[in-house]
Amino acid sequence: MPVIALDAVSYRYPEADRPALSDITVAVDPGDVILLRGASGSGKSTLLRSLNGLVPHSTGGQFRGRVVVCGLDTREHPPRQLATHIGFVFQHPDAQFVLEDVEAELAFGLENLGLSRPLMRKRVEEVIDQVGINPLRRRRIDTLSGGERQRVAIAAALAMHPDALALDEPTSQLDPQAAEDVLQVVLRLVAELGMTTVIAEHRVERIAPFVDRIWTLDAGVLRDQPPRVALAEGGARPPVVDLALRAGWTPIPLGLRDARVHAQRLPAVPANPAPADGNGPIICRLDGLDHRFDTVTAVRGVSLTLRRGQVVALMGRNGSGKTTLLKLIAGAVRPQRGTVTNEGIPAYVPQDADTLLFAASVDEELRGQSAEVIAPFAAWLHRYPRDLSSGERQQLAIALMGARADLLLLDEPTRGLDPQVKRALSTYLRTRARAGAGILVATHDVEWAARTADRILLMADGEIYADGPPATVLSDSLVFATQISKLVGGGWLLPEEVPL
Amino acid sequence: MIHHPLAWGGWTIAALAAAFIDRNPYLQALLLLVVINVYLPYRGKRRASTWKFGIALAIVPIFFSVALSRFGRHVLFTLPPIPIIGGRWTLDAVAFGASTGLALLLTVAVFAVLQTTVRSADVVAVLPRPLYRPGTTVALALAFAPKTLAAFQSIRDARQLRGQRTSWRSAPALLLPLLLTTLERALQYGESLDARGFGSGRRSRYRPLHWTAADLLVVIASLAAIVLIAVLPAVPYNPYVNLVPVLPNPDRLLAVGLLAAPALTASLLRVDHARHRA
Repeated sequence: MPVIALDAVSYRYPEADRPALSDITVAVDPGDVILLRGASGSGKSTLLRSLNGLVPHSTGGQFRGRVVVCGLDTREHPPRQLATHIGFVFQHPDAQFVLEDVEAELAFGLENLGLSRPLMRKRVEEVIDQVGINPLRRRRIDTLSGGERQRVAIAAALAMHPDALALDEPTSQLDPQAAEDVLQVVLRLVAELGMTTVIAEHRVERIAPFVDRIWTLDAGVLRDQPPRVALAEGGARPPVVDLALRAGWTPIPLGLRDARVHAQRLPAVPANPAPADGNGPIICRLDGLDHRFDTVTAVRGVSLTLRRGQVVALMGRNGSGKTTLLKLIAGAVRPQRGTVTNEGIPAYVPQDADTLLFAASVDEELRGQSAEVIAPFAAWLHRYPRDLSSGERQQLAIALMGARADLLLLDEPTRGLDPQVKRALSTYLRTRARAGAGILVATHDVEWAARTADRILLMADGEIYADGPPATVLSDSLVFATQISKLVGGGWLLPEEVPL
Repeated sequence: MIHHPLAWGGWTIAALAAAFIDRNPYLQALLLLVVINVYLPYRGKRRASTWKFGIALAIVPIFFSVALSRFGRHVLFTLPPIPIIGGRWTLDAVAFGASTGLALLLTVAVFAVLQTTVRSADVVAVLPRPLYRPGTTVALALAFAPKTLAAFQSIRDARQLRGQRTSWRSAPALLLPLLLTTLERALQYGESLDARGFGSGRRSRYRPLHWTAADLLVVIASLAAIVLIAVLPAVPYNPYVNLVPVLPNPDRLLAVGLLAAPALTASLLRVDHARHRA
């Protein structure tokens, strides 16, 4: 009997003009791992929320068909009754924490179920070991890093002993290492417990080798396919699959391990990286920049130059000082030592682009902008900015902030974006750079940086410790390396570059 | 060490009573020393950001008192007859403002101790079952407050990044996105509670709190302090009448000294830093 079964499920949000889910019929067998993918706004979160009854119990709207989880129809059983059957992990872990410290948070759901104290203790200890968070158990949640918080959120869901787990883009807010840690936890649960898992995830390269089926959502319509078929068709897929399709490898390898057999046959031609320094006029010069927040040094002795016509990616783990450096350049924070000399007008776009949008309509947001800036948004002018998808909001914020600037400083602009929107962002930034702007982007997205940037800066502990062309910096790094670089080496970063 | 939220609740009431009833500067200074000594062993590795707020709050009454009050006999200087600030500026007004500011600083300090030591999980755990749901809602609301402040700050920063000034006139423009952000978060919290079985039936307790000897000692000391503060005559301080405060009676000093009980138990029983580390 399937753990999860959807039978002709359609759903429309209140006052929406089109359905979020259209006539979906699909089933998940016990122990199956499903990768759910699709563009931003395609209905991934809605589908996941329908599995534990949040859609429609929490959202309202028109719901047709049936979702049955472990024999329970979600129309008749509210989410709190389904909590023991399906655990849910939200995109933003902060949205689900109720109490201040880790152990209390793990026990919160168990207390709600009215379990006996010895049983709760047993479950908490088990889940701490399963997820590997023993060192965190007595910590306050507000002191945890993003990756640690997400692992605690998974543990809290798992403590309820659900039959299945639904994860809504659990790594979208994390740096590569933290994302890797979270996905390792998920994969361990799959391998050791045979946990039925439905996971929406943009970083498909890590999870693809382990999935049984791929669900692809496109405007609410679902296709349920075996992984190789789905990935060959298109959509978000690992770079190694792109290379395999280009090279004609069969069967298509889903991960690095399978691909290595084929990669041995590739000619060993080293890449010839272009110099990163560029020859455009200098737009920004930093000299001995220092900044501290109380006892924490955020930026330490940073000196560098940025040039017009260049897209520079600034990478490093969470808390390495990237955001502070961008704010120092933008003038939003004053350096305590050193100087920032800007030869152009800087514009800083923060991580949460939502905060930049506060008008009642896109039209109002764009008031006073040139026709050239407004043109790409002509179709959305009447819409409320916060009703746009995350990619659309990001585009609007960048257009607003960057309209009159010639030094664009973007903080994690690809966070939570689907591959199509990321490609559009790359094109936009390349176009702006060609037109003479200087661009500095703080990002964790290695694949996107390799595709977009002319130069990579790696930052740790407030210092820039690597500076060079992507082919040099990203192929040298263990953490900040593209999948293709890990596979073929030689300074090749992208599947389309590799000589066959 | 002190675990029980009710013990901390008793201590907080006693400390606030002392801060507001006794405005004698000697007693205020002693109380501030006591509160700092209670705070230090329990703070773990947390930074004391609340104190900055408290000190800022303490300075405001001094400024207002000295700038607006024209009373007092100890004249510092005299300004020409400018509206509002013109006339005699007196040391008496400075002392009055400082005394008021110190009371505000003490209030912030006492709540900083409470915030550091009491976990919302413990508050929820001591609530009687009928109060569990509203109690959880209050705990959530308390957790929500700092996040709402952070959201307000980021919206204000975003406005500045877009070159828009932040002033009282821009308040509606700030409040609307703040309200929307808060509502979105509240909905997410609601979904999370639902998805984690909140309200599905009779609730159990993972770690019920037990009274320890240290908790009881603090409760007894706090009750004794409250009785002393309420029964014994207060030591008033009015700098406009007499700038130099009178020395308080020993029994009054004892009342404030009793409030050091949590610091005493922490040093005697050794604070379990692991539990309170940040």
